Amino acid sequence: MNTAATSTDRFSTSAGRMVVAAVVMLVCVVLLMLVSTTGMQGLLDLAQRTEARVPTFLVRISLIIAALTAAFFFITSHSYYKRNKVAIAPWMFLSVGLVFFSIYVIVPIFQSISYSFTRWDGLYDFNGVWTGEWVGLHNYKLLLDDPNFYTSLWNNLLWLLLFMLAVPIGLFIALFLNQTVAGIRIYKSLFFFPFVISQVVVGLIFTWAYNPEFGLLSEIWSWFFCETKTNIMGNLTRVCSPEPPSILGDETMATYGIIAAGLWPQIAYCMILYLTGLNNISSDQIEAGRLDGAKGWKMLRHVILPQLKPATFIAIVVTVIGALRSFDMIATMTQGGPYGSSNVLAYYMYDQAVGEGVGRYGYGSAIATVLFLIMLVYISYFLWRMYVDEMEAK
Amino acid sequence: MFPRPVEKASAGVRWAYKLSLPIALFLWLLPLLAIFMTSIRPASDIATGNVFGIPSSFQFFQNYGEVFAKTDALQYLINTLLIAVPTTIISVSLACLTGYALAIYKFKWALPLFFLFVAGNFVPFQILMLPVVDMSNRLEIINTVPGLVMFHAAFQTGFCTLFMRNFMKALPFELIESARLEGVDEFKIFWHLVLPLVKPAIAALCVLIFTFIWNDFFWASVLIRDDSNLPITVGVRTLNGEFVQQWHLVSAASLLAAVPPVLMFFAMQKHFIAGLTLGATKG
Repeated sequence: MNTAATSTDRFSTSAGRMVVAAVVMLVCVVLLMLVSTTGMQGLLDLAQRTEARVPTFLVRISLIIAALTAAFFFITSHSYYKRNKVAIAPWMFLSVGLVFFSIYVIVPIFQSISYSFTRWDGLYDFNGVWTGEWVGLHNYKLLLDDPNFYTSLWNNLLWLLLFMLAVPIGLFIALFLNQTVAGIRIYKSLFFFPFVISQVVVGLIFTWAYNPEFGLLSEIWSWFFCETKTNIMGNLTRVCSPEPPSILGDETMATYGIIAAGLWPQIAYCMILYLTGLNNISSDQIEAGRLDGAKGWKMLRHVILPQLKPATFIAIVVTVIGALRSFDMIATMTQGGPYGSSNVLAYYMYDQAVGEGVGRYGYGSAIATVLFLIMLVYISYFLWRMYVDEMEAK
Repeated sequence: MFPRPVEKASAGVRWAYKLSLPIALFLWLLPLLAIFMTSIRPASDIATGNVFGIPSSFQFFQNYGEVFAKTDALQYLINTLLIAVPTTIISVSLACLTGYALAIYKFKWALPLFFLFVAGNFVPFQILMLPVVDMSNRLEIINTVPGLVMFHAAFQTGFCTLFMRNFMKALPFELIESARLEGVDEFKIFWHLVLPLVKPAIAALCVLIFTFIWNDFFWASVLIRDDSNLPITVGVRTLNGEFVQQWHLVSAASLLAAVPPVLMFFAMQKHFIAGLTLGATKG
């Protein structure tokens, strides 16, 4: 904050700093090229050694960071920057994050779509040349004749529909807990608990709970349908009629079982959104409503729910995304089985592309593209809503 | 307050409510309680059908000790930390920069670029999977912890930017304007003026991203195949295959994987919920 400097000083180029920054930048780039070329790696015998991969990578990253820092000083020393700060600075703030995000997220979307028009197993030949072949719409034609694809699509639809139950149930629990009795805060956090646990763990918990021999469900089942008898060997055995169902082993029930397990954390998430929303409702309006004689359902419908709109919107958005992203639970609970009956697009794609002995990159990408297009409907709607909000805020 | 506070209701209703709370909670957390009970009972209990009764002996330390002794659970936990901590630092730092650019500067690309981050944040993972695998292969960082960190950090930058930009948009703009008139450099305004003001957002994001990454399963199973680099979520599933029918050990290992995010949640509850419910109140 050089307030003593005159205005001409403030805008002039600091040549010394620029030269130093340029030299540092040059050195970094030269070193980076040295490290990256295969010749150098061969020299140090690094390419062959797996344990050397991480250190070489970290060296490369450090060099890039150093070069970027030097570039930062280089630019900020120039008089052009000093005269046009407000126009240039946002791009400098954005540069690293935007490039990083584009490389790993934006560009791969288009790459995947282009893969979907090829037949490829993910490999390159010895010279590093791509081994795939261009097949046009072939993968999409295969998709239309693939019964597994329709099962997955149908299951995705089931997920979308049934997952929506999380929103009203979450609201119900939030209304139940929105009180001020002693210890209610602890109850609220404990009700939220399932959301914090990894989906893999939730999947394992429910796999066990659904186990027909010694799971939670079979225990509850036995209260109603089982009796303990002494068999001819003189041992106590449990006889049930009908036998407890094997939910995850049954083609018609597996998907519903997984969705029910997935609802558990999702309800907790919706609940916390609504609790926050309820907390911020203006008490004036509730009092006004009470004076008008509104209570119970009427009050909820006409006074509370309109004020909870932002919470409902976010709850729906996260639930839709959660439903379409369902993967972890299916991978832990059934791996898409029995006979592919609990597959969803996300898992089927994974299975086709990198599952054991398959490696159909092109076909997998076609499935991913379909899933992406479904999601795109929601993304567009969400962005449009945000755009409207932004315009109103102005 | 809605519904009407129970304090104003009759004594009977008040007692009924207070009684229903623990019952509801018990039912809600029943699967978790049951699996905890399983994790502290001996294997013989499960074999003889004593799955829900009182354990014939309490084997808390034996069972959890056995998980650590027989498996690489400790290594998995360390790997998860090595993945989650750097990811959190990188993505939150980058998002402070991008969020600042998108919230404070009024240039015509601000909104389209912001939407790019938001949209990217919502895409299904599968559309990114194969190109990311291919790229990691060519950069020779597949199967390594830094390789996974790079992807996670880039992807989470999208969510963090959404969060940071909205938080910074609510800052008093006059403050920045007057600093500019004083001739303070843009980067000094960011560092000395804005960063201290967004500390709560940084805290909330750190807790959230740490938990997200800790619980990640998909990317770890796609980008890491070496057993020695696996995080706990994938590790636990592998254990599930190894401990066939040894449910007391499977449940102990699963609960172990859940402990750190749960501790994090209870320690930083305020920040955690503030992060998750951003946007649920305004509008």
